[in-house]
Parts: sequence; C-alpha cells; structure tokens
Amino acid sequence: MTSGVPVRPGREGRRRRRAAIALTPLIDVVFILLVFFMLASRFLDERSLTLSAAGGGGGGMEGAMLLEVRAEGLRLSGEALTPEDLAARLEARLAERPETRVILRAGEGVDVQRTVAAIDLAARAGVARLALAP
Amino acid sequence: MDGDASVLPLINVVFLLLVFFMVAGRLSGGDPFEVTPPESGTEGPAATAPMRVLLAADGRLALDGEAMGREALLTAVAARLEAEPEAELRVKADGAAEGVALAALVADLAAAGVREARLVTTAPRR
Repeated sequence: MTSGVPVRPGREGRRRRRAAIALTPLIDVVFILLVFFMLASRFLDERSLTLSAAGGGGGGMEGAMLLEVRAEGLRLSGEALTPEDLAARLEARLAERPETRVILRAGEGVDVQRTVAAIDLAARAGVARLALAP
Repeated sequence: MDGDASVLPLINVVFLLLVFFMVAGRLSGGDPFEVTPPESGTEGPAATAPMRVLLAADGRLALDGEAMGREALLTAVAARLEAEPEAELRVKADGAAEGVALAALVADLAAAGVREARLVTTAPRR
C-alpha cells in the first residue's frame, strides 16, 4: 500500500495534536459525496441486441423463414415446435443456406421478454439476419 | 502528526470508494415511468446511442426522458435524423410490454428513417 502513512512501531508518547488543516469537514463532504453516488448509481449489467424491421430493405421475403411467437408456443413456418426442435431446424437450414433470413412475429398476448427469448434462441442457432414483423 | 496519521487511511479508503462509485455507476437518467428491460442471454455491447426511446409495459412512449405520443415521437425522431442522418437509436422496452407493440414501434421507426435500432436488455439474473 502506498497510503503514505509512516509506520513507526514502538514509538512512545503517541499524543494527538490538532491537525494543521481541519479534517472533519473534509471527511463530512467526502462521505456525503460517497453516499450520494452509492444511492444514485445503477449497476445493471446492460446489454443490447439489434432490431431490424422486416420489409425495410435488406432483401425480400424470398426464402425467409417465419418464426412466430404465440401465447401457446413457438411456430416455425406454421409448424408448432418445441424450442429444441426449432433450434435444430434452424441450424439445419442455416447449414444449407447460411444467408437465410428469419422473420419474427410476436402474437397477441406475448410480451417483450418472450420475444427476446425467441430472438436469443434464433441467435444461438446462428441466425445472423433476423427481422421483426409487426 | 499522529492525529493526522490515524485518519489518513480512512480518507484513503473513502476516496477510493468514492472514485469507484463515480466510475462504475451510471446515474439514472430520470425516466418518466418505470421501465424494466427484458433479460437476454445474447451478449451485445451496452447501447450508448444518443436517441433513447422508452416503451412502458402499458404502451406509453417517451423520447429522451420526455413522455410523448406516438405521432409526436415519430416526428421528433424524423427531425433528429434530418439534422444528423447517422444518429443511432436505442429502444428501452419493458419486458412486460406487448411484443406486438415493440414490433409496431420498430416498424414505425424504420419508416421514420431509423436504419438500425438497438434494444436494451440486461443479463439474466442467476
């Protein structure tokens, strides 16, 4: 530690003298600042993912796969699948045609959290071009 | 000088803590309503785009901390993009908001000229 505190063991007659500069106000202010920053700061581990809108350029719908997130489950090109099967299908398709676009459509009663979970699933399967359809 | 010497380590530690909180924390920017971003396993860099669109769980919208209606928001975004065409945009949507509302918002933003929007997420809580 380079705290600059001289350590003198065995020194006799440790007597507290008045500091040349009053330290108490300084400590007060620093503590108030510390408490302010502790309370005002956020420590959420924020991330982000890219959202693009379907139909806004970047190629047509030709050869694109439709991933539907419905209240009752996931559907890929109209077929109800479990998340594992869906990931396997996507991977198989991407192995054939790596440029496959995936259009994601959220149904009624599906919240953003589930939509994001579906985006994660597609991203893990290797989908690079995903668009959100209204 | 022993009176000073015993206080110095305390000040050192407190200053270190102060600097840590100043650097590591981010001041919350006073959102007009509570928005809890969805959790995501996809690791993207934290979005720092200057334009920030908020979507509340009940569908209310805000741009840069100012609550406004859909039309006003799209007009404001289009005006900002006219001034600086390369300006990026991040969307902070509540995890409980309707997926349909998010998709509609992204489509509207794309129509207003936003090339790419980034959705703010948080790391999954374990």
